[in-house]
Amino acid sequence: MDSRSRLQELLPKLVLAPSFLIVLVFVYGFIAYTGILSLTDSKMLPSYNFVGLQNYVRLWSLPHWWRAISNLAIFASLYIVICSVLGLGLAILLDQRIRIEGLLRPIYLYPMALSFIVTGTAWKWFLDPGIGLENTMHLWGWESFSFNWIKDRNYAIYCVVIAAVWQSSGFVMAMFLAGLRGVDNEIIKAAQIDGASTMTVYRRIIIPLMRPIFLSAFVVLAHLAIKAYDLVIALTGGGPGQATELPATFMYSYTFTRNQMGIGASSAIIMLIMIFSIIVPYLYSEIRGGKGR
Amino acid sequence: MARNVSTQRKIVVTVAAWAIGILIFFPILWTFLTSFKTEAQAIASPPLFLGFDWTLENYHEVQERSDYFKHFMNSVVISIGSTLLGLIIAIPSAWAMAFSPTPKTKDVLMWMLSTKMMPPVGVLVPMYLIFRNTGLLDTRLGLVIILTLINLPIIIWMLYTYFKEIPGEILEAARMDGASLAKEIIYVLTPMAIPGIASTVLLNIILAWNEAFWTLNLTASKAAPLTAFIASYSSPEGLFYAKLSAASTMAIAPILILGWFSQKQLVRGLTFGAVK
Repeated sequence: MDSRSRLQELLPKLVLAPSFLIVLVFVYGFIAYTGILSLTDSKMLPSYNFVGLQNYVRLWSLPHWWRAISNLAIFASLYIVICSVLGLGLAILLDQRIRIEGLLRPIYLYPMALSFIVTGTAWKWFLDPGIGLENTMHLWGWESFSFNWIKDRNYAIYCVVIAAVWQSSGFVMAMFLAGLRGVDNEIIKAAQIDGASTMTVYRRIIIPLMRPIFLSAFVVLAHLAIKAYDLVIALTGGGPGQATELPATFMYSYTFTRNQMGIGASSAIIMLIMIFSIIVPYLYSEIRGGKGR
Repeated sequence: MARNVSTQRKIVVTVAAWAIGILIFFPILWTFLTSFKTEAQAIASPPLFLGFDWTLENYHEVQERSDYFKHFMNSVVISIGSTLLGLIIAIPSAWAMAFSPTPKTKDVLMWMLSTKMMPPVGVLVPMYLIFRNTGLLDTRLGLVIILTLINLPIIIWMLYTYFKEIPGEILEAARMDGASLAKEIIYVLTPMAIPGIASTVLLNIILAWNEAFWTLNLTASKAAPLTAFIASYSSPEGLFYAKLSAASTMAIAPILILGWFSQKQLVRGLTFGAVK
């Protein structure tokens, strides 16, 4: 074996090594470090005085954390369900051979190109009773109009859902549209010849065929929901009170403003476990199914 | 499926689709229009759609109040810098995985990609400590590094899927003809890879431009990009509609332009390649 072919054999491994190491150290190494911190009594600064699982016990006894978890449950389930329903609806609408569809699709998708921080800020003004929708309605003469969810502890979390849905449903639409376009026309023709109505074709044939897309959409939306941070920070800052606190904002405030680094780290680990339990089965099925390419 | 529908239904559906499109786009359009109004016109009743005196006064005021250009330049440097640095690291890796795959390649790829889904809070503490100890807090360099690290998996993944579309036979043919490795890469691979690389660059600039978790948490003022600029407007007190609109229009304008050209890449990247 001459040196050139040996080089060609080794080179791929050599050039892959830096990326591999970067991901290994900066993601898994740092997660491990966070894991270690979660077992210590770190306050403002990291300490290496191990206290076992005490932080986890305290974490789950905090009403504040329970608030964040239940908010996440409300936010994630509404966000995923509404985005999927709207996304599928819009995709079916666009699949009807719309005129100038090429112009319409980017418009549906625009919100996704924006930063969550811009969306959050814009919706904050829009939903603010003093300057937004409510005020505008009053100026136009509809004095009794009232929409102050964003200031209301019981409803503020739904404002986060509204802004997030506005941002993401066009993007879910794009996923479903790609799926619809991938459905074999022959199957549909065959069904139509057999006398199936459009509704039946969608319900019985097309939607079941799109199961993989539902799964992808679920995974993408679920991880966006668990990671949600910037949107909440811009829209409500976690308030009023703790009404829109999510695990990510909880983690940030415990680690950096309340100087409870140990508890913050343990909440980060819990979030990681949540994400893992969603993506590991998904990636596993992707690899198994051999369609991950 | 309704791929051959009656004209009447087609009209109804088209109207409905456009109505929804306008509804979705309306907040963006309205913000844009309002940014050119005076404060009095901005809250006029009934609202003014186009018939108002267009003014640039709000833009002047926003620039003076919070130095838009400084934030803009920070965003430009950070997103382009991190994209280029990311490409330098990612191109060889993606090339290796696409053209010399081993049985483990797919696992490595999935493993790298899975890190993009993780919540950044999981690595925030060690990252913050390193930044503080090395003086990288609130520097452009620090943000370039962090955004490179954060987006590296997605860059590798995107490049890999594009490289995969290049037929390996062409490379082999070049090799047969005696082309050296360098020539093979420069004359054969690069011209075919450029569209894919360009798409990846576009996607990554948008991702880096929009990235807020790290840019908000690791900057104070000096290196703060547009995400921090817009966040500083998030408390409405003392501000008025027209100025708020000007600030947000300025923050999203580059993305609105880039976004038009990169819809496909955005979907492909954000679905981790599930949708091409």
